[in-house]
Amino acid sequence: MSKDFIDHRFHLTRRHFLGKVSLGLGSVALGSLLIPDLFSKSEGSTQALGLPHFAPKAKRVIYLFQNGAPSQLESFDYKPLLNKMAGEELPASIRMGQRLTGMTSGQAKFPLVGSHFKFNQYGKSGAWVSEIFPNIAKVVDDLCIVKSMHTEAINHDPALTFMQTGAQQGNRPSMGAWMSYGLGSENKNLPAYCVLLSRGRGNGQGVYSKLWTNGFLDSVHQGVQFSSSEERVLYLKDPDGRDRADRRKMLDNLAQLNDLNYKEFGDPEIQTRVQQYEMAYRMQTAVPELTDLTKEPDNIIKMYGADCLVPGTYAANCLLARKLSEAGVRFVQLYHQGWDQHGNMTGEMPLQAQDVDRATAALIMDLKQRGLLDETLVIWGGEFGRTNYCQGNLSKDNYGRDHHPRCYTIWMAGGGIKPGIVYGESDEFGYNIVRDPVHVNDFHATILHLMGLNHEQLTYKHLGRRYRLTDVAGKVVEGILA
Amino acid sequence: MQRTARIFINLIFFFQVLLVFLLFFEERIELPGWLQVAGRLHPMVLHVPIGILILLFVFMMLRNTFRRRQFRKIVLICLLLAALSASVTALFGLFLSINGDYGTDSLRQHIISGVVLSMFTFFLLVWYKNVKKGEIVFYSSVVFTLLALVFAGHTGSVLTHGENFVLAPIATEETLTTDNASLYQLAVMPVLEKKCFSCHNESKAKGKLIMTSMTKFKAGGEHGRPWVEGNPDSSRMIQNLHLPLEHDDHMPPDGKPQLSTFEISLLEAWILAGADFEKKMNDFAEGDTLKMLATSVINSRIKSVATVVYPFNAVSSEVIGRMNTPFRTVFPLYQNSPALHADFFVKESFQLSSLEQLKEIKDQLVVLNLSKMPVTDANLSLISQFKNLEKLNLNFTGIKGEGLINLKSLTSLESISLSGTSVTKDALTAILSLPALREVFIWNTPISEAEKTELEKSFPKIEFIHTLFNDSSLLALSKPILINEGIIRKGDFLQLKHTMPGVAIRYSLDGSNPDSISSTTYDKPIPVWETVKLKALACKEGWYCSDLLEITCYVEGHTPAQVTLLKPADKQYPGEGASSLTDGRKGFTDVLKEPSWLGFRENAFEAGFDFGSLPPSISKIVLSYADNLGGYIFPPTDVEVWGGKNANEIKLIKAVKIEQPTADRPQSMEAIGISFDTTTYAYYKIVAKPLSKLPLWHGGKGQKGWFFVDEVFFY
Repeated sequence: MSKDFIDHRFHLTRRHFLGKVSLGLGSVALGSLLIPDLFSKSEGSTQALGLPHFAPKAKRVIYLFQNGAPSQLESFDYKPLLNKMAGEELPASIRMGQRLTGMTSGQAKFPLVGSHFKFNQYGKSGAWVSEIFPNIAKVVDDLCIVKSMHTEAINHDPALTFMQTGAQQGNRPSMGAWMSYGLGSENKNLPAYCVLLSRGRGNGQGVYSKLWTNGFLDSVHQGVQFSSSEERVLYLKDPDGRDRADRRKMLDNLAQLNDLNYKEFGDPEIQTRVQQYEMAYRMQTAVPELTDLTKEPDNIIKMYGADCLVPGTYAANCLLARKLSEAGVRFVQLYHQGWDQHGNMTGEMPLQAQDVDRATAALIMDLKQRGLLDETLVIWGGEFGRTNYCQGNLSKDNYGRDHHPRCYTIWMAGGGIKPGIVYGESDEFGYNIVRDPVHVNDFHATILHLMGLNHEQLTYKHLGRRYRLTDVAGKVVEGILA
Repeated sequence: MQRTARIFINLIFFFQVLLVFLLFFEERIELPGWLQVAGRLHPMVLHVPIGILILLFVFMMLRNTFRRRQFRKIVLICLLLAALSASVTALFGLFLSINGDYGTDSLRQHIISGVVLSMFTFFLLVWYKNVKKGEIVFYSSVVFTLLALVFAGHTGSVLTHGENFVLAPIATEETLTTDNASLYQLAVMPVLEKKCFSCHNESKAKGKLIMTSMTKFKAGGEHGRPWVEGNPDSSRMIQNLHLPLEHDDHMPPDGKPQLSTFEISLLEAWILAGADFEKKMNDFAEGDTLKMLATSVINSRIKSVATVVYPFNAVSSEVIGRMNTPFRTVFPLYQNSPALHADFFVKESFQLSSLEQLKEIKDQLVVLNLSKMPVTDANLSLISQFKNLEKLNLNFTGIKGEGLINLKSLTSLESISLSGTSVTKDALTAILSLPALREVFIWNTPISEAEKTELEKSFPKIEFIHTLFNDSSLLALSKPILINEGIIRKGDFLQLKHTMPGVAIRYSLDGSNPDSISSTTYDKPIPVWETVKLKALACKEGWYCSDLLEITCYVEGHTPAQVTLLKPADKQYPGEGASSLTDGRKGFTDVLKEPSWLGFRENAFEAGFDFGSLPPSISKIVLSYADNLGGYIFPPTDVEVWGGKNANEIKLIKAVKIEQPTADRPQSMEAIGISFDTTTYAYYKIVAKPLSKLPLWHGGKGQKGWFFVDEVFFY
């Protein structure tokens, strides 16, 4: 009997059903009044953008990317044991069956080889630096040398992409784009993210625009590549016979047309484009002064080396990087190619070091004497390290090293970094990390932290989920914070 | 009664749906003010459902004292009130959570349990009203609801009163500091805790060793105390750490997280110092190894992000918006910070009025960057009104110094940058007594190194940053730059330049090495009539001369009517076939896989050049080739030039052997010129043989070499 009763109760009439549903819908409708953008805005973030989450230590970044992976064993990670054991086989207890690249996995032997360049201790911190970096050695007390970086990729493209975007596969926004998205631009007359390229004299690897992509972020955040030619920003000058007033009129009219188009299609990229035109117009005043290096005092030219006046060299890019950073550019990304010493280490490494040593040290000093080093984070390093064993023929005076992702060295200086320290440690063979490993995600989290951003909060919703530079990992490396 | 009940039930149902909906879109809700007030009533109204539910429970205990119909009514009324008040409470709570600052984890638990409670009371109500049987189910549901009530109440109290509020008076726990804790507790124990405690604790006690308590740790395990005071080498604990990983006694066992060498040295130092559990950090001498190791362990722990409290209020975002122009950027130091930062850019657009406008934010401005702006001493009194300034950048402005005295009111100023200005020591001294000042940048000012040292002595608290680069050693200039690109027309001019002012360029065109004294100085463009090897260097007083610029400049020659490759180029490097040889396009030295270059390895280079019916007179042929020894690309070994009326009637004009390199050298683009007596043949054949075996010094010794050619010129 009672069962029939329950059945009856559950057997709703249409009227009853509609009554309940409308009641429910009414409640949803009332609730929706509290959510202003429920049906209007589909994408985007709810947090305020363009400002750090907390007090930043650094306002700007200059990333001196050493493309091709400079050997840590010939630069900053001194391993005398490798010289002592030169020619002996890499012990299996050290290698622990870890994967190698296809370039050396077929080698019958893995003879250890030590640095052919001498190491000395420098500065108050007594950090070891190789003799081929005599100028960087002089500023070593301003650096924090991280000897325990490690990455997941073992070949250039994925490793580079990982260092730049936090993912190996590409299509994600690069670090500079995230900064531009999270912090905005300090100087509205220049892009927030600038890219400068130079080539070394060693075996080179490519650099390509996917490394400074905006990924799924708005295209205003894309890195702007400066030309290596004398005209650093191409087509910036008005054509002959046209003046600024003409240009202004043209842009105004073009903006009206674009606005019509925007009203019709609502594509935000149209507005981005208009903004870019306006910025290019303002860059016409801002850039010539920046790229004119001839007015730099003699002392500066000597400090950076004579090459700094030759457009497209690393030294010129360092000098330009300082000028851009001084003018409020958030993120200046340099790439210097030629660090891929699979062979001819003794021939190429000194040339590469010579290209970067003087100008890099000059950049540190130059920022410091202008009072900018404590608000500018300078990073120097490659995408992975190099093996402690020789690739190819080991002769008395030459050798090569293969890719090594387990352990490598980078250094940072300036804004918020503890100066004059060495962080992390590799084993005596320079193969594995024994203390304080720093993963690429940790590295990114730390850089964002220094810029006043919580890496877990700087997100962008794309394809149904929120993305971060550090994806789902990353810990701030507290030990290197000042 | 029935009718009222139905209205109430509908109302409560309405609230339930609203609750679930809001729960889903919690992050995007923006509350109007009056609802925030409702939210703040949550801590008050929450007591109503608690009371009623408890009352309901009491009534149910006393069920037998009521008449059946009466009892039903009482329970129904209780349930109605409980469900209504529970849903209202939950709704208010949700409003409160949106605008409050609560820890996320316990907040989440509280919200979920609150909503579950509200729904459950509603379910009880509907059940009781409609189903008159199944009392046991109903009673147990009531008990469950009460449990949910306790849980929701507890999580709520954690939010308002903090964790462990009730028991706090009887629990004692203090944080470890260098004053109250020993070095062991601060530095050694955390290492053991991370790497050893998981097996050596009260419940697991591997090897009967318990490390979690100091007394039991001292008592040791089945092998006795695991250390010998003052002697780490004979301490079992240390010995086991050093055993090879695969050894059975190695600690921690293979597969567990291992100690770093740093952690091991900390343990060794601790045992060496007597394995003291009580000694405090401050009791160790300065510079003691153990103390230093311990300090670095302690310092490496997480530090929280410090926030600064400013003595002024924030300005509205509308004001900040107004302050921003393309040439003046004003922004808070970080989200919700009242302190502002102002930057000026593009000196051509600077106007004094734009600095004056900052008066509107004079209290909030803590960082001001006027670097490179045309600001003078007269403007410093204006700047002195920004009384909370902490950092002032006046690099490369027109400041001379006499106005600096105006800045004496900036008592918060910590850092001032005057690099590149004409500030003198005397003028600077005026502000050096500012109480907060700690760094002054005076690079590139009239202040000398000696004066800086004096300042440092007089003002020891301030760091003066002067010239950091004092290297007077000579440096080499960069090479001169050749402006011309590609192939030059006959009689055109070579143009050289150098990016540094005041440089003299000296050059030669005959292959000899120019020097800084006797060689021709470049003063005007150089006309060229045939392919030449340009060598040039740059010299300037106070610098070493540059390295030599060496470039082969190719001049356009006679173009044959037809070119044929007698043997095909390598499949990998076919260029655009024979036409690549005379298309007037040079390749790049480092990119060989492109249309300009033809590569030969198996085949020799053999090409026929037909000038047709009106052949010009020819006396020289130039082959342009790539030299990249590391890439196996060598000069050819033999070059032959044949000529005649047509392809079938030709004879050898000249054959030359090319000297081969004996060591590696930088990659370059080179040319072989072969001169002969003037001829007027219609057809020429050129043969160039790649190196058949790479030399012994080369990494690829014994293998075949490559020959790469991009252009052939006839003069």
